[in-house]
Amino acid sequence: MSEAGSLTDELRALEREARDAIDGTSDPAALERVRVAFLGRREGRVSRILRQLGGLSPEARPVVGAEANRLKRVLGSALEERERHLARKRPDTGTPAPDLTLPGRNRWMGARHPVTRVVDEICDIFARLGFTRARGPEAETEWYNFVALNTPLDHPAADEQDTLYLKGGGLLRSHTSPVQIRILEEHRPPVRILAPGPAYRRDTWDATHAPAFFQIEGLAVDEGINFVDFKATLSEFARRFWGPGTRVRFRPGYFPFTEPSAEVDVKRRVVRADGSVEETAWLEIMGAGMVDPAVLENVGIDPERYSGWAFGMGPARIAMIKYGITDIRTLYENDIRFLSQFA
Amino acid sequence: MNVSRRWLRAVAPGLDLDAGEIAARLAMRGAPVEGITDLAAEIGGVVIGRVERVRRHPNADRLSVCEVDGGNGTVQVVCGAPNVRAGACYPFVPVGAVLPGNVRIKRVRIRGQESRGMLCSARELGLGTDHRGILELTGQFEPGSAFAPAVHLDDHRLDVEVSPNRGDLLSHVGVARELVGEGGLRPADLPGAVEHELTVRTGSAVVDAEGVRVRIDDPRQCWRYMAAVVRGVRVGPSPEWLASRLRAAGAQPINNVVDATNYVLLELGQPLHAFDLAKVEGPEIVVRGARPGETLRTLDGERRELDEGMLLICDPGEALAIAGVMGGGDSEIGEGTTDVLLECALFNPKGVREVRRALGMSTDASYRFERGVDPAGLERAIRRTVSIIVATAGGEPAPTLLDACPRPWRAPVVALRPERVGRLLGVEFEAGDIAELLEPLGYRCRPAGGAIEVTVPGHRSYDTLREVDLIEEVARVYGYDRFPDSLGAFRPGTVPDDPLLRLHDRLRTTLVGRGFLEAHTTAFAPAGEGEVEVLNPVSAEESHLRGSVLFGLLHAVEHNFARGARDIRLFDMGAVFRADGSGGLPRETNRLAVAVTGRRRPRHWSAGDLSWDEWELRGLVEELLAVVLPEDGSVEPGTFDPAFFEGGCEFLLRAADGSVVGGAGRVRADRVDAPVWAGPVWGLELELGDGAGERPDPAFRPLPAFPAVERDLALLIPDSLPARQVLGFIEERGGRDLVEVSVFDLFRGGDVPGGCRSVGFRLRFQSGRRTLTDAAVDRSVRRLVQRLKEEFGVEPRAGAAGSGR
Repeated sequence: MSEAGSLTDELRALEREARDAIDGTSDPAALERVRVAFLGRREGRVSRILRQLGGLSPEARPVVGAEANRLKRVLGSALEERERHLARKRPDTGTPAPDLTLPGRNRWMGARHPVTRVVDEICDIFARLGFTRARGPEAETEWYNFVALNTPLDHPAADEQDTLYLKGGGLLRSHTSPVQIRILEEHRPPVRILAPGPAYRRDTWDATHAPAFFQIEGLAVDEGINFVDFKATLSEFARRFWGPGTRVRFRPGYFPFTEPSAEVDVKRRVVRADGSVEETAWLEIMGAGMVDPAVLENVGIDPERYSGWAFGMGPARIAMIKYGITDIRTLYENDIRFLSQFA
Repeated sequence: MNVSRRWLRAVAPGLDLDAGEIAARLAMRGAPVEGITDLAAEIGGVVIGRVERVRRHPNADRLSVCEVDGGNGTVQVVCGAPNVRAGACYPFVPVGAVLPGNVRIKRVRIRGQESRGMLCSARELGLGTDHRGILELTGQFEPGSAFAPAVHLDDHRLDVEVSPNRGDLLSHVGVARELVGEGGLRPADLPGAVEHELTVRTGSAVVDAEGVRVRIDDPRQCWRYMAAVVRGVRVGPSPEWLASRLRAAGAQPINNVVDATNYVLLELGQPLHAFDLAKVEGPEIVVRGARPGETLRTLDGERRELDEGMLLICDPGEALAIAGVMGGGDSEIGEGTTDVLLECALFNPKGVREVRRALGMSTDASYRFERGVDPAGLERAIRRTVSIIVATAGGEPAPTLLDACPRPWRAPVVALRPERVGRLLGVEFEAGDIAELLEPLGYRCRPAGGAIEVTVPGHRSYDTLREVDLIEEVARVYGYDRFPDSLGAFRPGTVPDDPLLRLHDRLRTTLVGRGFLEAHTTAFAPAGEGEVEVLNPVSAEESHLRGSVLFGLLHAVEHNFARGARDIRLFDMGAVFRADGSGGLPRETNRLAVAVTGRRRPRHWSAGDLSWDEWELRGLVEELLAVVLPEDGSVEPGTFDPAFFEGGCEFLLRAADGSVVGGAGRVRADRVDAPVWAGPVWGLELELGDGAGERPDPAFRPLPAFPAVERDLALLIPDSLPARQVLGFIEERGGRDLVEVSVFDLFRGGDVPGGCRSVGFRLRFQSGRRTLTDAAVDRSVRRLVQRLKEEFGVEPRAGAAGSGR
């Protein structure tokens, strides 16, 4: 070990020793004895090390000197702090002041579920773009889940979503898209809504699948809405959610209830610990598209006059990307050690 | 769809892109590539080996000892395959080379015989699933030369994800068309094949030619049936060029006749089927629905029971094949086949889908028929198949093709308004621009007034039948990435923010502020925890829809108990389901549930631990009711759900109109699998309705101008009299100036008689008009004591009455 290294280590050990001695004093006289022992001009242990500086090599001298001076400074303020502390008494009882280094009286910290955090964040961004939140039932009919959404049951597109059916009639909605129909039946355009909620599919649990999962449906219908608005609004959302440097890509896709349909991908800019900036791979974040005219006709809206766009997003998947969670089951175990990480 | 890059190049010679570039381009056309396999990468060390001599292994019946020429002289190799023979060539892995899966071949002794290398099956090379024997190569090969290029496997296989509307992409020509346009397509080179002079005899439901009859009995399901006859074939292995194209696309070569049909399926997307003509009675093909109780043994060896009406290909006697799904075992092409009847048909996609779902199977053919096979492509496909069969299996094609076509196809014509394109896409397109975008995909555009008449090609005739479908095509071919994305003005929506979701927000804020963690439980429950049954559940644990949210939270409490947690505070909000709904659906309502156990606060050195108890619970319930209900509700002892809560320690929660909105209490010990060290679990379940009826805005009351006076009153109340009654009486009868009553103390023992408790009430008097005098307040208290005595017979505790503060 270098001479500078061994002396600096000695100084660090000295600092710990001195701090313990200072904290252990209970009257001003004892405190003064500690001061002399460490910082006394003649025999003080720090002063002694400072006197050895002259014998050090030119490289080691500034290193050890700086450390010794820092130590003098911090011990000086620790001594002052302790002196003030010893001088203070409780005004009412005259007993010694409380040891304020002890921990305070805490409360339990609550937390929203990580998926809720993501849902709230998404809804907040869209709220600023004029969207309100809407809701629909989770047990649905084939009309709302498929037929009104231009998905005939005898078409292969219906296979993509293996649906759970209920005894006594109905099914568990396989996506949040039925809310599009429910809202458009009740409200005339302009409609700008977001419908967060659970959806269900006949998937068995594994690291990336769950039979129940959260989805957020988005829908905008008005006069003059076009593909450029669609791209612009979703790109704006993506940049606000994932960060200003985010790149957004729209690829052709297929959904029976949108035409044209698109898959939306993002490429995020991630700042590494060393300050370097890196782009991630393309991540699929939603399926989307212009509302199919057949859907508008099904709710009695004239597609020649009105047009719109819609999307479906999976906040669980987004939470997994955002927080680095690798197994979707973690989100449903409700382990408090997991949930309290989001306090 | 597995696509070979070499095969793409064969049908689109101008396609000068590597596999990665092809994948990137397809992704932007709506057909993302899920994976790219470099077929040669894993078998780089494999060479051609020619077996010179074969002898029986002296110590093992099933093994043989071969002399193999692997390029560097002959080496001895022990082989277990039944099909190894002298003079043939096989893929050979010499000592030191590596097999797929990173298996390095070493020199070994097998039952006393040295083996220096390995002869491989298709499966061992990752080329297919066949592992019945080693892969015998047909053709001339140089021993020791690299295996992959010798069999054209220096290739990449792209796994293209095709959406259900794009049946046209389920072939190499279809994918190539998307990449280079129709103008860039050429028929792939077929070594040795020639075009034969064949004429077509077309009829409606019945056609006779070449001694064969085709009859369609169900024109609703069978739209067209073409047939060809090739006589005098020799069935055997396909030549290497054909086998290797199939392998590169992930298909397994079978024999030259079947391979020809599979080849055309993969190249053009048209499924074909070959029958052994000798096995077809008549010979006559009858396309009809299945009769009651009819069965068929399919190619995969299974005997299938057919539902009445399922479309079959039959001879006059019995069924030969399930139309569009799978052939039958009895009319299969085999080594003894000399005459072949080729089927090239067009079936109703919906019918094929129904049949294959009912039979629970899916084949390459049914997959394509369901998604739509090009109705204009049948003749080309059957001609090409005949050419390949004659080139690879010999024989003579009968000069007439049979074509039974009860439903002739006419190309759809769709009117497209350029103005509408611009309105929907936000970018203007001229008629000429639109034609330039669509025509390479096979559409024909003709101006007609202000609009364009677009003739849709057969391969897109299932998907693009409306104006909006063509608008999508325009956007897709133009490129989604070329549209601007600058945000314009918008009108805010007319739908009010959902009141239940707003209530969720408020409840979350309250509970998170009180230290609760939000859980996410699902709507599923096992039998006994819900009334509504799932018809096709994933598991028994998920066979019903829950009747309570608390059920799932208790499950989560158990999960945390099992991991050593003592202090657990969870809540969740979600739907619960009852069977008594309307309109064919269950009744669905929304609830909040809370489950809590352990300490009220984290341990602190200054004090002992305090655990959750009924009073903490009651306090929480009161706070939550104030959030949920528009008017003050009430909490009283009572039974909400005996399945959850311990009798005698349960609260009933009511809205202002008296209706029950929930319950809370100590969770029954038999509901939670708890370790011995665990404290009691407390739970609550609260109906949220639709969240409508937020509390009205507070109305300001002027602050009191005169001081308040307090009096404490301790009453001896018998155990049989609920404190709430006394409290209510005081509130009601305490006089005009009594503004607040609270309970500040409860005491038993000492001077308090048995069967009684002393309850301390703190009374706060205040007037809006004057300063109250002590005398006036004392008078009020004395009057109150008198009334309490008359009403309940209760007495103040001695010496405590009216003590002032």
